[in-house]
Amino acid sequence: MPILFAGIDIGSLTAEAVIIESGEIVGSEIISVLPNPVDSAKSVLGKLLSRAGLCREQIAYTVSTGYGREKIQAEGLADENMSEISCHGFGAYHYNPDVRTVIDIGGQDAKVIKIDRDGKLLNFVMNDKCAAGTGQFLEVMSRALGVDLNQLGEISLRSRKPVPLSSRCTIYAETEVMHCLQRGVPKNDIAAGISGAIAKRVAALVKRVGIEPPIMITGGVAKNAAVRREIEKELEVNIIYPNIDPQIIGAYGAAAFAMQKAGKV
Amino acid sequence: MHRISVLLGLVDIFPESMVGPVGSLLTYSRLLPADIQAGFQGLFVPRAGKASALFIKMIARWILQAKRASRNGKKVILVPFNFPVELIHAFDTAVPLTSEVLSTVGVIALRGQGERYWDMAMALGLPDHICSANAVELGSMLGSEDFQPQAIISSAAGGCDANAKLHEFVANYLEIPLVILPKPPDDSGRGRAQYGIYMRNLVSRLEDLLGEKLKEDRLRAVMEKANRCTELYHDLMDLRKAVPCPVPNIFSLFTYATRLSAWGTEDAITTLRSMVEVSKERLAKKAYPAEKEIARCIWVYTSYYYDLAGYFNWMEERGYSHLGDALMFCFPQLIDTSSMASMLEGYSDAAWGMPMTRQMGAESMSRAWIEDIVWAARELKADCAIFCGHHSCKQTWSVVSILRRELLKQMGIPLLVLQGDSWIKRMTPMSTIQQEIDEFIKNVVASKSAPRRKLKKGRRKQLDKPIAS
Amino acid sequence: MELISSQAPGLENDHVIRWKQSGRSIVGYTCVATPTEIIEAGGLLPYRIRALGNGNTEIADAHLSRFNCSFCRSCLQLGLDGSYDFLDGIIETNGCDHLRGMIENWVYQRRPRFFHYLKVPHLGDSASIEYFVEEIKIYKKAIEEFVGRSISDQQIWEQIGRQDRISDKIRTIYRIREGEKPSITGAETLALFLLATAMPANDAENTLQRAIDDCKDRALDGYKARLLLGGSATDEVDFVAMIERLGGLVVTDTLCYGARAFRPRLLEGKRTDPYLTLANGYLENLLCPRMIDGFRSRLSFLLDAIERAAVDGVVLVHNKFCDLHGIDNVQLRLALERESIPVLQIEKEYGARADIGRLKTRIQAFLERIG
Repeated sequence: MPILFAGIDIGSLTAEAVIIESGEIVGSEIISVLPNPVDSAKSVLGKLLSRAGLCREQIAYTVSTGYGREKIQAEGLADENMSEISCHGFGAYHYNPDVRTVIDIGGQDAKVIKIDRDGKLLNFVMNDKCAAGTGQFLEVMSRALGVDLNQLGEISLRSRKPVPLSSRCTIYAETEVMHCLQRGVPKNDIAAGISGAIAKRVAALVKRVGIEPPIMITGGVAKNAAVRREIEKELEVNIIYPNIDPQIIGAYGAAAFAMQKAGKV
Repeated sequence: MHRISVLLGLVDIFPESMVGPVGSLLTYSRLLPADIQAGFQGLFVPRAGKASALFIKMIARWILQAKRASRNGKKVILVPFNFPVELIHAFDTAVPLTSEVLSTVGVIALRGQGERYWDMAMALGLPDHICSANAVELGSMLGSEDFQPQAIISSAAGGCDANAKLHEFVANYLEIPLVILPKPPDDSGRGRAQYGIYMRNLVSRLEDLLGEKLKEDRLRAVMEKANRCTELYHDLMDLRKAVPCPVPNIFSLFTYATRLSAWGTEDAITTLRSMVEVSKERLAKKAYPAEKEIARCIWVYTSYYYDLAGYFNWMEERGYSHLGDALMFCFPQLIDTSSMASMLEGYSDAAWGMPMTRQMGAESMSRAWIEDIVWAARELKADCAIFCGHHSCKQTWSVVSILRRELLKQMGIPLLVLQGDSWIKRMTPMSTIQQEIDEFIKNVVASKSAPRRKLKKGRRKQLDKPIAS
Repeated sequence: MELISSQAPGLENDHVIRWKQSGRSIVGYTCVATPTEIIEAGGLLPYRIRALGNGNTEIADAHLSRFNCSFCRSCLQLGLDGSYDFLDGIIETNGCDHLRGMIENWVYQRRPRFFHYLKVPHLGDSASIEYFVEEIKIYKKAIEEFVGRSISDQQIWEQIGRQDRISDKIRTIYRIREGEKPSITGAETLALFLLATAMPANDAENTLQRAIDDCKDRALDGYKARLLLGGSATDEVDFVAMIERLGGLVVTDTLCYGARAFRPRLLEGKRTDPYLTLANGYLENLLCPRMIDGFRSRLSFLLDAIERAAVDGVVLVHNKFCDLHGIDNVQLRLALERESIPVLQIEKEYGARADIGRLKTRIQAFLERIG
């Protein structure tokens, strides 16, 4: 019988679960979060298990991460909890062992994680409380612009003359977007300005821990191609974009930790 | 920085009669990027006349002196805006470089407005609530080889923690000596006497660092020029009292940029004299950029420098006069040049009276600030006051509510509190600033024809009472 | 330790209540650079102003701004909402710009019965010491006028002696914490010190001794790492407890409400002038980032503590908008990174519960990194 390990990652907007066997992903699931992280964990893991035709008992060890990770463990849904910083680093390492720096941009957090050649956390930096430089920033801006969040990256790439935007404060950036719209600035150019603003913020975080390639990008915002391109421009390096969903890297890392921890238990 | 150095070199070489027209031409051509164009439109606003070219030549020479310092056997001493530069001008072997003026030049003239340098400072992990003027300067020291200071003076301790700490950081990071001039927050004679001791210690330390004794004759020559600057400064202040204000808004910046960089030099005298002449001519012609002067505004601390046209020009073209801000309210006095001791004493008084030092470094930050603003508002016939809310000036932010209350109580004039960053546009766009000023002036500030706002008896009583929780 | 946990959380502890009931006055002060010996010698109770994690700043926000440090806003809130009405007077010091603004607003709004501004120099050179000597004399005179009697040199010497004994006990507690088998947590130490700076020196001496005695039969276990906590004025016992619940035992600190109260015995080098003794004692040992020529001393104080306590990592924290620690922590972090000492730098809002999840994530990740 195969030995399976699971990782559950609860973010601010989505929850992910990953099951692995011998380090390889057997299945993954992403759902929108429910009000309670424990419910999110139950739901995302339940969905994944039923889709994969598995039951809880077949999972040898589970690690929870993200919001409410301790509660999830306390409820018996996980055997252990780890910070999402370690999990994203470890997940990126398991995806590509050469990776030394991970940029993870989630709904409310942006993190830059440095790992060693064993995937162990060397250093990290996280954005301060301000939403600038996170998924929330993109969400607010796409609303102000009247563009679907998923379209934002695509239209930015069509810009010829990006508008330099405030990157320090979401509230003022939103006002600025409104002013640009009133002045008749094309939406493509404003969208490109938004991508540039977020990229600047993230690049400053990367510089704080030092640029060490190869760099991988994970998290929901990684899906925005314009943001990726702007970060590459700011840092003057190529960034690895995983060919699996970048949102599941944290859960993948948690599952990988589960495998490692189970070996020690 | 390289491109700007070449430009400054040309400005230095060409005569004023050429710099003005070329500058104006550049301003309205499409050769400049939009952000730089806004700066140039502010500097070369036509009503500033010949003062624009003379001011720019002065700044160019001042920067080039610092850039060429080592070639000329001189040392660059980095100073903050609240340190009077004339002392450094009095040494043969030193040139002053004022952080905030340098950052302002960068924000006006560099592509991307110096934000690259801000990002460099942030990449060190410095908090984003530090002063952008200092952060841009630090970034420029890290990212460019144009200026290599050999020492840094900090006269901010006592007046501004954010500045004082960043000076210490710069000194440690660049591994250069830090020369400290603290301001005792003590209004008694003891405080001033102690400041005199600190000043004498600073002079000795500088003499040691430079390997040069301060010479009485040279100091006298500089102080005599400083005195001439003082007279011209007060002439300009007097001209600002006229209604409508004949002094173009941009002269506020020109006045204190001169005070903070070239005071005590021939260039400073020439620039100030040209400002006085231009303003006098405008007074005679009753010239004013708008149909009517709608509001006379005192800016109670700093102004905004990232969009000179959008700020200074925009205001006066709408009839809002910029009567000055707290950086200008340093009220210089004539220095007794009869002896070394009298000059050093007068110089210490000047340093004691520099902006920020005199207000935020006082025993009570609010009381000294209120006194200055009330005095200036009364003298300059202001009918409103505006706090630009540079986010890093936490000392002012902590007592601005008291200033607002007292301005209303003592003068009956309202205070608009804005939030922004004086040097970096990222925090609040100029369009938002303009909108808030417009709304404030239209809705709150009484029109020129209306009588001065008077407080009803009940309201005055209410203001006189301490606020109950 | 039970006494500490029962008394520390409130502003008005039993000692304060008893003191007031006996008709005596209490004077609040904000900064570790305030020579409390003079207040004690005047027969007053010195009370170190704190906010105890209070996150409500509704009234204070009308006076201070959102660009001011939230610790100061929290203190002002308590000053303006009447929580500090048991204070009869306030001593201001120029500890930092935010504190100055906080006290200015407090005094402007509430006009306390007694107020004095003690100006502490930003340098520790001889000229500054001389100035501070006079400043302490002026401060003593202000206290004398308030209490209506004179204070003798002998009374000051007695209080200096008492503070020496308190200082000895503080050092003993740090030896216990920093040792191989600590028997007092960081949260307990902070709570203890908060209590000790809100009671008469005599009681503080006894309380500290009782804590030392209690430590004898205790052992702490289950911790993953030994940490040093440094940075902004932190009186948030819950914050330290949170770090410890995650598995990082705070075995030492460089905090203003902690190790910065270290000072040598001042009576030992007894000079003829108690004011000079106090001026030297306070200014020379002021390891606060407000002393802008003191970075080397602060760094060596930090490195000594790291070595003494054999810590696995350093957490440097500052409140949002705190200029002094916000910048100093960067200098310290860069220096520690050069020495390959693991360090986590955190910016946080004082007393804000909303941000706790993000703080926990960072601390947990740091513990995973060094564990």
